[in-house]
Amino acid sequence: MVVGALALTGCGDSGGGDGTVRIAFQGPLSGDNVALGENMQNGVKLAIDQANAKGDLGFELEYVASDDQGLPDKATAAAQKVIDDESVVAVVGPAFSGATNTASPLYAEAGLVTVSPSATNPTLTDPKNNFTSLLRGVPNDSQQGAGMATYYAKKLKAKKVYLIDDKTDYGAGLAGVAEKGLKAAGIEVLRKSVPQKTPDYSATAKDVVNSKSDALIYAGYYQDAAPFAKKLKEAGYKGAAISGDGTNDVKFVELAGDASENWFLTCPCTDATVEAGTKKFSADYQKAFNRAPGTYSAESYDITNMIIEQLRAAKGGVEREPLRDALAKASYKGLTKTFSFDENGEFKGTDVYLYQVKGGKIAYQGNINQLAG
Amino acid sequence: MSLQEFWDYLVLGVMLGSLYAVIAIGYTLVYGVLQLINFAHSEVFMLGAYGSLIVLQLLDPGDNPSALASIGFVALAMAGSALFGGVTAYGLEKVAYRPLRRRGAPRLIFLITAIGASFFLYNLAGKLFGRDPMTLPEMYDNHDVFSVFGAGVNITQVLQFLTAVVMMVGLDLLVNRTKLGKGIRAVAQDAEVASLMGVDIDRVISRTFVIGGVLGGVAGFLFANLNQVSYTMGFIPGITAFAAAVVGGIGNIRGAMAGGVLIGVVETMTVPLLGDEWRSVSAMVVLILVLMFRPMGILGKQVGRAA
Repeated sequence: MVVGALALTGCGDSGGGDGTVRIAFQGPLSGDNVALGENMQNGVKLAIDQANAKGDLGFELEYVASDDQGLPDKATAAAQKVIDDESVVAVVGPAFSGATNTASPLYAEAGLVTVSPSATNPTLTDPKNNFTSLLRGVPNDSQQGAGMATYYAKKLKAKKVYLIDDKTDYGAGLAGVAEKGLKAAGIEVLRKSVPQKTPDYSATAKDVVNSKSDALIYAGYYQDAAPFAKKLKEAGYKGAAISGDGTNDVKFVELAGDASENWFLTCPCTDATVEAGTKKFSADYQKAFNRAPGTYSAESYDITNMIIEQLRAAKGGVEREPLRDALAKASYKGLTKTFSFDENGEFKGTDVYLYQVKGGKIAYQGNINQLAG
Repeated sequence: MSLQEFWDYLVLGVMLGSLYAVIAIGYTLVYGVLQLINFAHSEVFMLGAYGSLIVLQLLDPGDNPSALASIGFVALAMAGSALFGGVTAYGLEKVAYRPLRRRGAPRLIFLITAIGASFFLYNLAGKLFGRDPMTLPEMYDNHDVFSVFGAGVNITQVLQFLTAVVMMVGLDLLVNRTKLGKGIRAVAQDAEVASLMGVDIDRVISRTFVIGGVLGGVAGFLFANLNQVSYTMGFIPGITAFAAAVVGGIGNIRGAMAGGVLIGVVETMTVPLLGDEWRSVSAMVVLILVLMFRPMGILGKQVGRAA
């Protein structure tokens, strides 16, 4: 399991001069998508706190936050801040695809490993990018988009799908894959781009209704999906609606209220509060942060523990690059799934799960391919 | 686009446009008296939205309030937004612009100050109210009440349009019929001469800001009711309304109204014709086209002042 651990022990000095080793998280900790970032940050913190509490590490582990607001143009500064802190040996994140895209060249140069629990744009692991420090701890959007297409084609037998992306790297990537899948299944697709922060979704909603589509895909984040869902309800849209992991957050239900009812949400993540393997985690999380774990909380927890496992084996004496190489080769069985990566840092494994908003709650439905039959 | 669809989008466009018009008035009023583009007006709008949110959270309308209670909630939320907007605009003038005016700072300094004030205010709001978007609690059960040429109009839209019209008519009367209005017009025409004639310029300017702030604040409430509240919500509607003010002829109040409605309709019509991603582009194309043929805007005065 720990192939690379031997390589680590050779390095004399620990990462930080003061004997502490730091793990950073980079993601939106302010700005419009803060809820998504906090879910992950709490998972990372919980893993670190538990490791310290156990007391068998032999060194002190610390958490460092780096806020990129989920924005590509803020991500480079956030990355640089982490890189400049020499005691940081590994980064959980960046959370968003666009931010990962701009931050990864810096991390690659610094040899500082980043394991993202949530950046799902398929092109990130393209070897041409040379993002040599990036490991993706999540199936990419090819899986989510394909899952949506399969579900609409096989289960709901949709005839005409109105497909919207929000013009972000994430949304466009997801929508592109879904479009391919739908067209391959012979379904008519109306592909539209509605930029984030569109001030008024009334006209868009009217357009959906007028197009007589019987199903809708929104590839974007919750803070735009929510007002859009409201306007769809007002416009009298009766068809199915599905969105991806960017919308899969209780905030979506809070903001959209009744209008979110029956929306399908996909995620390459399981529901920590439902799956047997994560029940204890869920209880610990609730105790620590006084709320239930959110999207990617458990995955972030797993990834952090995966990093800690390597650090423990090396007794804290870790340099950045050997740790990166060790993690790239490692296989770690977490609570949510088994983490292992191919030679481009792409996640091995393809499971995508379906959720649906029911009675004001995001209800876990199960593996999307099994549900589609 | 079928005829029915045309009416659908036209109604939506006029509704949105009426909001832009109210915000645009804030830009145009201040420009009239100070020849300043008050870029912090978008933050007055944003804080107005928070004003109504705070009022509604305190009152907590609960589920299914009665019709009378609904009207009360709307009125109080609106009052909250007007208060926040007015106070913000008043403070802005007092703290940011008046000291500059006293020292006779060049126009560019005003502009930079406006942008700085805008940054300061929205970051302050993010700090104070949190950076998560929020929605206004439901004040009434929204449904279609009547239709215009087959296009359904719901309560939110009626509220939005009526409030905008009432405010615009009220403002028009205020500017053209009252003593304060006469002062505003005098300062706009020639501040120096107006002061020689006994107009208290400081007071007129301060009140002009408050009027613009109240309108902007209420527009913030209406907008929050249409979409949601967040500390960055001012930026896009602010820029769009500024474009509307310029299209209509900056400094001209009726022009701002016309420009707002025009831009609202063009933006909305763009959605079915070209797609959402062209929305902002089409608004700016209208701006450029209008300025090419009428550099002073649709209802604007001749460029440059009479000597």
